[in-house]
Amino acid sequence: MNNNQYVPVAVIGVSHKTAPVEIREGAALDNDSQQVLLTKLYNEFDLEGVLILSTCNRTEVYVTGDEVNILLSDIRKRLDAFKEVPYYSNDEYVYIHKGKTAVRHFFKVISGLDSQMIGEPQITGQVKLAYEQAHQAGVTDTLLNKIYNYALQSEKKIRSNTFISEGAVSISFAGVELARKIFSNLEGLNVLLIGAGETVELAATHFMEKGVRSIKVVNRTLQRAQQLASKFNGQAFTLDQVEEALTDVDIVISATAGERYILDYNQLKRISKRRQHEPLFLIDLAMPRDIDPKGNQLDGIYLYNMDDLQEVVDKNLQNRREEIPKAMKFIDQYMDEFSTWMATYSISSTIKQLRRYFDDVRYNELQRLKSRLPQEGMEQVEYLTQSIVNKLLHQHIKILKSKNNNAERKQQKIEIIHELYDLNRD
Amino acid sequence: MRSISFVLNYLLPVAYLAVVVVYYRIFFHKQKELEQKTTIILSSLLVVHFFEISIRHLALNTIPLSNAFDSLSFLGFSILVVYLIIELTIKNKGTGLFILSFAFVTIFISAFNHQWQKETNALLSSPTFAIHASLTLIGYTALALSAIFAVLYIMQNRNMKSRRFGIIYDQLPAINYLERMSIRSVAIGIILLGVGILLGHWQAAKILDSYWPLDVKVIVSDIIWVVYLITYIFARLLKWRGRWMAYLAVSGFILLVAGSLAVVLLSESFHKFY
Repeated sequence: MNNNQYVPVAVIGVSHKTAPVEIREGAALDNDSQQVLLTKLYNEFDLEGVLILSTCNRTEVYVTGDEVNILLSDIRKRLDAFKEVPYYSNDEYVYIHKGKTAVRHFFKVISGLDSQMIGEPQITGQVKLAYEQAHQAGVTDTLLNKIYNYALQSEKKIRSNTFISEGAVSISFAGVELARKIFSNLEGLNVLLIGAGETVELAATHFMEKGVRSIKVVNRTLQRAQQLASKFNGQAFTLDQVEEALTDVDIVISATAGERYILDYNQLKRISKRRQHEPLFLIDLAMPRDIDPKGNQLDGIYLYNMDDLQEVVDKNLQNRREEIPKAMKFIDQYMDEFSTWMATYSISSTIKQLRRYFDDVRYNELQRLKSRLPQEGMEQVEYLTQSIVNKLLHQHIKILKSKNNNAERKQQKIEIIHELYDLNRD
Repeated sequence: MRSISFVLNYLLPVAYLAVVVVYYRIFFHKQKELEQKTTIILSSLLVVHFFEISIRHLALNTIPLSNAFDSLSFLGFSILVVYLIIELTIKNKGTGLFILSFAFVTIFISAFNHQWQKETNALLSSPTFAIHASLTLIGYTALALSAIFAVLYIMQNRNMKSRRFGIIYDQLPAINYLERMSIRSVAIGIILLGVGILLGHWQAAKILDSYWPLDVKVIVSDIIWVVYLITYIFARLLKWRGRWMAYLAVSGFILLVAGSLAVVLLSESFHKFY
């Protein structure tokens, strides 16, 4: 891979890695702002492509065009002015990647490798939306389209060939993951919620999404229990009915503010015996705890608390981190493919620029001489000059398209031609 | 044909070992690229093994299952078939290392003990014998699988109870699945072994004029089967489950292996055909 290959793309970004939440909030761009800014940047700076990605953890502006490296500082100032904050010009919070580094960064972002929760899948959807928005606004060019396509391919490959997105990485999902290690399929299971606060409600929502059959709610006040139960079409009980409510339940989620155990060892022993040691999965999210931890010693009782769930989350995050080197190999593979494409793309773009340059020279010279030359025979002169230009161009094109070129050689030739005719200035 | 059979016979344990290595890498090194190829790997092994069995019996002009080591090879083949079905059904590859290692041991022992002699015993030409032997062997396979699932259940249950969220916890399926598979396999094993044994007795009556010939293999097999049946019925009636049911499945299988080994190594039986 040729690391010196010139790719006219850059990214200006603020993320969880470089800026605290207050700065990220200030730099964030809502949907409407993004729409406006896409067109403004594109027109004001004569860019060839713009893409804006703004999530809770990052705001990034990708720009393409021959002059991007020169324009970066002005674009940063424009972003500050647009948001009326001084963050984008502050090197402490902002990172800038240019050329291939920017492309590699984009590949990492779309695959979740740059996310706070490594491997999280939401970022892929967010990048897709950002691209759709830019595409619909008509501010994407061939290069940006290609980078996006290669990024999507690498993301797909990484997710299907590594475990980067596997395992729960939040406490409430860790409960679902543990339940699946007991019951394999949660469909048709019955859940009991002890307490009616937000914590149990959130956990219950995750279990409902996985297809559990019914939800019962036990609470000190029946009214609050009924309120929560109605959200899940469930039944409500008071605390003294807890054993009755537990009869046909498979999963218990408990989080009350009580000082004493709601389910003590003897109760659990009775329940376990009554259930003939059928598995009962209990999550105790309360502090102090609601369920006697000794209950875990009983056959068929699987009791977990907040620390246990955190342990599952930490283990899954560690597993994901261990997958990063594998994922990076896929990114390298797609960076190579992108480089190969880029070399070809650069040739065709150089030829276009070269043709424009030659045509301009021909046109200007003809204009200059038109007044001094007789009008008759002008058509032949035009034909002659066009023919000379084509002949001269042909030799350049032949050298650029030579089959003997490897990627590095091609790049050298492109650079020489750019320097010779000062094509970058255009 | 005999030389092809000879080569295949020794290639087979190598192929099984290679598959065990693949599952080892999936289990301990989490190689997702390999995970995606297991169906094709197992199917290829199945074809090779089927080809090996066919060639061997064509070369020797015998029917399969004519001696203990022949049967062991068939046992490994049956385990492979059952495991492939399990894997396709539950999409979990965590049990593969354990189940296929067991299959490899049977193939390894079988490959290095084949007698390479033409079969002459008239008893083996009876179609009832083939059904008797096949059912008995599949019954044994089911009981072996039940024991493996039970061991995995005990391991996973221990992980869940003591919060050991390591690689074994990650790779093994849910405990209720392991428990269900173990109990179902015992039931299938008892039924098939029972029918196989009954057919054996019926055949003995035809050939030896006695339903219960005084043969140590027959007696031990009958006793083990009865013990299995009674214990299973009691366990179900008493609604045993979980850990105790798993211990029972493992103990039953240890008893079965010990009994069979004792019969093979220490006594003479008319069940020897080579």
